Amino acid sequence: MKTTTKAGVVLALSLGVLVACMGIGSVNIPIPDMLTIIKAKITAATIPTNVTPSYVSILWDIRMPRAITAFMVGALLSVSGVIMQSLLQNPLASSYTLGVSSGAALGVALVVVLNITIPVVGFFLLPLAGFIFGLGTVLLVIAVARRLDTSLKNQTIILMGMVFSLFVNAVLTMVSAMFSQHIQRLTLWQMGSFSGRRWTHAGLLAVVALAGIVLVMGDHRELDLMSFGEEQSMAVGVDTKQTKNRLLLLASFLTGAAVCFTGIIGFVDLTIPHVTRRIFGSKHRLVLPMSAVLGGGFLAFADLLSRTVLSPREIPVGAVTALVGAPFFLYLYFVGRKGDASCG
Amino acid sequence: MWIIECKNLHAAYDRRDLGIEEKEAVKGVSFTVESGQNICILGSNGSGKTTLLRAITGMVPYSGEVLLDGQPLQKLRREKIAQKVAVMTQLSQVYFSYSVEETVMMGRYIYQEGLLGRPTKEDCEVVAESLEAVGLKDLAKRQLNTLSGGELQRAFLARTLAQQTPVLILDEPTNHLDLKVQAELSEYLREWSQKPGHTLIGVFHDIPLALALADELILMKQGQILAKDGKETILQEDLLTQAYDFNVLNYIQTMTQPAEQFLKKQ
Repeated sequence: MKTTTKAGVVLALSLGVLVACMGIGSVNIPIPDMLTIIKAKITAATIPTNVTPSYVSILWDIRMPRAITAFMVGALLSVSGVIMQSLLQNPLASSYTLGVSSGAALGVALVVVLNITIPVVGFFLLPLAGFIFGLGTVLLVIAVARRLDTSLKNQTIILMGMVFSLFVNAVLTMVSAMFSQHIQRLTLWQMGSFSGRRWTHAGLLAVVALAGIVLVMGDHRELDLMSFGEEQSMAVGVDTKQTKNRLLLLASFLTGAAVCFTGIIGFVDLTIPHVTRRIFGSKHRLVLPMSAVLGGGFLAFADLLSRTVLSPREIPVGAVTALVGAPFFLYLYFVGRKGDASCG
Repeated sequence: MWIIECKNLHAAYDRRDLGIEEKEAVKGVSFTVESGQNICILGSNGSGKTTLLRAITGMVPYSGEVLLDGQPLQKLRREKIAQKVAVMTQLSQVYFSYSVEETVMMGRYIYQEGLLGRPTKEDCEVVAESLEAVGLKDLAKRQLNTLSGGELQRAFLARTLAQQTPVLILDEPTNHLDLKVQAELSEYLREWSQKPGHTLIGVFHDIPLALALADELILMKQGQILAKDGKETILQEDLLTQAYDFNVLNYIQTMTQPAEQFLKKQ
């Protein structure tokens, strides 16, 4: 199949998932009604009377922002996964490996148990705390790794990330145990959810995702080269130290933004880059945008499953991605590898 | 004119991440390479050859002075270095697979600009020439992880050639290659190195090959230069024996004797 055809299929599939996310649920909204409502909302016209009034708020206020949030988070996680894997030449690396998620979880936990409120920040306090702590943990990991190994080799970074993640997780467990009255809230946050996400979330994430992808695209050739290892990319003229710092920060920032609004959702950043490389080869010029689309579609689909399979109950979306993602990753990594040309 | 000048160069082989303790592999080395000269570095394992190559291209931290075309290496940006010197390091693992053509195109990195950095017509021509030179033209569309070790080696060499630099630095370029490819490649390298302004610096285990390519030889032992001179001066029994801790010339003779006798009978 030609690359453009493949890209078209992936785009169409993701769009289809988004439409399904908006239409399917406790109430199913027909596509023509969806189009009428969206058109009316965008042009600020009045909604025609033949559309059931409850559809309007269900679609516009609940499902659309939720679906778009899920899509953007999926895109952010996947792109950051691509960066981390190529940069560290490790198909198992992700921002989570470097401690973003455990750091963010600890930040949120501290805000909750210490009952901190900052009026100016308002309801953004939790995401903000998650973001700052997540990014802070990665920075600490990189700083300590650099202390131990000035040339900042990949094994050192990954090991440091794992050590810090375990350490921060232990602190988190201690905090949870000491403030057991908050355990439920903390656990829910750690499971990840898109429930109750509004346009503010969706809009902010969309801006971050688009800006992030454009920035990373500026480094697509550097990423190609870095995936061969530092020595190789140095040899052809890449300033590896600077590039590595910039991209590590950017990837952590993207994950931090995703994690802070939704909690921890695993396996997207691990699996989607592999799937994308399988379909489109390794060139980052294609892998970056396509993994964003594929990851967005995948997470929106996972969210759709999470709220419909056991409806009216919701399964945490992190559980869905892991339930689907883990076996799929195993398949990709061990079974599907044989004789394949574009992966591993 | 000197293209490379080192004074009192010290550099360490640092693989603490692999649990190998840091040790000084190059200990106070000074030498100069004239533009257009071809130099082969010989020495036993662990004599500091590879670290020396890495230091003079700024790929490992060093102390002392390295001047590239008169300018201090530490002040040059990687991009500038890559316009003058193309380095082929020892083969590394391929983690993510690209096609041979895509890989060779990466040698054009310094020439591509703009956000998307699409290859120009010139880039494509240079890539095609480089593939032709290493005999991989027919495998251009193949994925790296379907290649044999020798083909992979040649793909990386083609990427190095695509950089179109006046200086080529090669670390055991004929490793993994079968005899036919070795012969073709050394012929190509010889031709390349004869062109005016082309400087070749290489580490070789294969002494006959080094002799075929070099104007001058550098003999290394325990991180220091034992001798740097023309072939006749270096190829003396006691000097070589001192470098390799055994009688190299004797060994080469013994190894080639059966083949010579066999050829005589034919």
